[in-house]
Amino acid sequence: MAEPAYTVASDSEAAGEDKTSSPLPEIAIGIDIGTSQCSVAVWSGSGVELIRNTRNQKLMRSYVTFKHEIPAGGVSNQLAHEYEMLSGAAIFNIKRLVGRVDTDPVVHASKCLPFLVQTLNIGVRPFIAALVKNMWRSTTPEEVLAIFLIELKTMAELRLKRPVRSVVLTVPVSFSRFQLTRVERACAMAGLQVLRLMPEPTAVALLYAQQQQNAHENMSSGSEKIAVIFNMGAGFSDVAVSATAGGVSQIKALAGNAVGGEDILLNTMRHLLPDMDSHFSTRGIEEITRMGLLRVATQDAIHKLSSQSIVQIDIDLGGKKICKVLDREEFEQVNREIFEKCESLIKQCLHDAKVEIGDISDVILVGGCSNIPMLQKIVTGVCQKDPYTGINPLEAAVRGAALEGALASGVNDPFGSLDLLTIQATPLSIGVRADGNSFIPIIHQNTTTPVRRDMIFTTVHDNQTEALIIIYEGDRKSVEKNHLLGYFKITGIPPAPKGVPEINICLDIDASNVLRAFAGVIMPGAQNPAAPVMEVRMPTVDDGHGWCAEALNATYGSTLDLVTVQKKGAH
Amino acid sequence: MNSTHLAHPLPTTNRFSFPRSTRPQHPPHSISFRTRPAPFHIRSALNGTLSDTTSVAMSLYDLLGIPETGSLLEIKQAYKQLARKYHPDVSPPELVEENTQRFIQVQEAYETLSDPRRRALYDHHVASGLHLAFAARRNGRFDEEMGDRFEWKDRWESQLSELKRRSVQKESADGMSWGARMRRERNGVQ
Repeated sequence: MAEPAYTVASDSEAAGEDKTSSPLPEIAIGIDIGTSQCSVAVWSGSGVELIRNTRNQKLMRSYVTFKHEIPAGGVSNQLAHEYEMLSGAAIFNIKRLVGRVDTDPVVHASKCLPFLVQTLNIGVRPFIAALVKNMWRSTTPEEVLAIFLIELKTMAELRLKRPVRSVVLTVPVSFSRFQLTRVERACAMAGLQVLRLMPEPTAVALLYAQQQQNAHENMSSGSEKIAVIFNMGAGFSDVAVSATAGGVSQIKALAGNAVGGEDILLNTMRHLLPDMDSHFSTRGIEEITRMGLLRVATQDAIHKLSSQSIVQIDIDLGGKKICKVLDREEFEQVNREIFEKCESLIKQCLHDAKVEIGDISDVILVGGCSNIPMLQKIVTGVCQKDPYTGINPLEAAVRGAALEGALASGVNDPFGSLDLLTIQATPLSIGVRADGNSFIPIIHQNTTTPVRRDMIFTTVHDNQTEALIIIYEGDRKSVEKNHLLGYFKITGIPPAPKGVPEINICLDIDASNVLRAFAGVIMPGAQNPAAPVMEVRMPTVDDGHGWCAEALNATYGSTLDLVTVQKKGAH
Repeated sequence: MNSTHLAHPLPTTNRFSFPRSTRPQHPPHSISFRTRPAPFHIRSALNGTLSDTTSVAMSLYDLLGIPETGSLLEIKQAYKQLARKYHPDVSPPELVEENTQRFIQVQEAYETLSDPRRRALYDHHVASGLHLAFAARRNGRFDEEMGDRFEWKDRWESQLSELKRRSVQKESADGMSWGARMRRERNGVQ
C-alpha cells in the first residue's frame, strides 16, 4: 500500500447518515480494534476467514505513527524495530482514550504512555500529541481510529476485490453510548457504515453458538447451554453470560470495566522503577526513549512469566540500571488488586445472570491476557470448570463479528451455518436525574433489547412550568458518576401545586440499538397531554460534555427538578 | 455532525428526522431457519390484530403458546422459537416494526413466566379474577402497583405509538437522508 488513503469524509455526514440508502446486499466485514491489536474477518461463504495484510499477518498492532506528513498505521506500516513505536511519534492504546474527558482516571493512567497525554482536569477532551521532528503534532482518538479503519478496509478490499462499505465492530462492554458515537464517527471518517457495534464477549458468544449448533446438529436443540465468557485484552475486561440453544444466543448478563493488560504492565513497570512517574514527568526525547525501553522490557518479562516461573530483567535507562529477578509469585502479588477486580467482575456477572455455578456448561477465556496463568486459575476457580479449548482466544471476537456481519447483511447459508441469532442486552442502565442528585434507572442493566420502558415523575415546586430531563447511563447511585447522554427541557406544564402534574418519561431502544427519550405531561383527569410530547434521539451531548452537568446545575439549581412518583421500576 | 435530534412539537412536519434504522434496507432476506411449525393457536393469536391488543385478552401463556402447566424448559424453548421468528434481526425489513412489538411482548411474557416468583404472583392474580391478562398493558410488564394506571397508560402509549408511527411514515416517505438527497441531486447535475 504505497499510498495510504487518508481521506476524511465530511464530519457533518457522520453517524446517522445514509444508513438506509445502501441497496447492496454485500457482506459486511467484521473488525476487532483492540487496544493493542486489530484484525479483520469476513464470511467467505463456508466459514469465517481472517484477512491477512501484505506481510501475511492476521493480527496487527493498533498504532499510528506520525513520522511523516501522512500518518501511517500498524496495518500497512512495518516498524524497523519495536523501539520505534516508542519514539514518541507513535500513538497507541487509543481505545482507552476514545470518548473520555480529562478528569477520567483512565486518561490519567494513560499519561505514562510514550507520547503526550495532557490533562487540565476540567472535563474536556485530553490533549493528545505525537512527537514529530521535535514538535508536538496533536491528534484525536477518532482520527487515530479512522486511520486504522481505513487501512483495515483497504486490506479487506484488496483481498475481496470489491469495495467494502459496511462493518460490524466489536466494542468493550463498558463503553457508554457516548463513546459508541465516537467509534461511529471514526467509522464515518473512514467511509464505513456501522451495521452493529457488538460488545466483544457477545461476538464470542455468537461464535460459540455456531460451534454448538454445528456440533449438535442432529440433537434436539432443546438443551440449553450456559456459557461464561471472560475477555481481557490490553485495555478492558468484559464478561458475558449467555444461554445458547438451537443457534440462539441469549445474552443474560454483561459486565465490564476498563481494567486490562495495560494496567498489569503499568503496575509491573512501577514495581521495577518505583519513582517512575517523577522520572518521566518531563516529555523530552530522552525520557520518552527510556520510558519505551522500560515498557518493552517489562512487557517481554510478563510474556515470559506466562510460560516460565522466573525471569531475569536487565534494563539500562541511561544513568540508571535495573537488574532484577522477578518470579511469578511476586508478579501476581504486585497485580493482586487487578486480579481481584477480574474475579469480582465475573462473580458479579454470574450473579446478575441469576446463574448457578453448577449450571455452567462452558467457560471461555479470550483476549490478549488469556494466557496469564493467574487469570486461568481465577476463571477455573470461580466457575469450577476448565476453560473451553475450542476457540482461538485472539481471534474469537473478530470471528464473531464477521458472523454477525454475514447475518446482518442477510446472507443465507444452505448448510444452516448461519441459522443464528443473538438476543442482546443493555450493558448499562439508562435513566434520568431525579429526587435531587440521584440517578433513577428506567431501563435497567441487562434488559433484553429492543425494549421500551417508562416511568412517571412529578414537579418539586408549586407552579413549576418547566422541567429538565437529563439522561444518564451507568450503574452508580449519584448522577456524577454515570455517563451524561443528553438533556432537554419540557415546557408548558400548567401551573399546579407540586406533585400534581404527571410527567411521563419513556425510553425506547429499537431494533437498531438507537435510544430515544420521550417526555410528556398529563394533568390528572385530562384526556390529552398538556404539552406537546417531546421525542429526542440520544445521545445529544458532544465533546466537552463534562462541563454541561456542572453548568446546568449552576444555572438552574433545583428549579427544574423532578421527583419520582412510582419508584418501582420493572424489577 | 450535529447529533442533536431537535425535539419537535407533534403536529409539525420535521425534515431533520433521522432514519430509524441503522441497518440498510436490503431486500427481504430469508435466513433459512429450520422452522418448526408453531402450535396452531399461537399462530392464530399472534396473527390477530396485535396493534389492537387492548381488545384481545391474551394471557402470557397464550402469548408463548404453552399450557398453564408448562415447565420451565417448555417456556425457554417456546421463547427461543418465537425469538427466531420475531426478533428484528431475523425479520424482513417491512415487518421489523411489527415484529419488534411482538418480540417485546414475547420477551416480557418470558421474563415473567421464567421467574418462579413472578410467575406465581401472576398465576395468583389471574386466579383471583383480576384483570391482569397481558392485553391490559401493552408493554406487558407485570407489576402490582400499576393497576390503577392502566387506563391512563393505554392512552399514553397510544400517543407514543402514534408519534412513532408518524415519524416512521415521514421517514419512509422521504426515504433518504439530507446528505443522500444532496448527493443524488449533485449526481443528477453531472
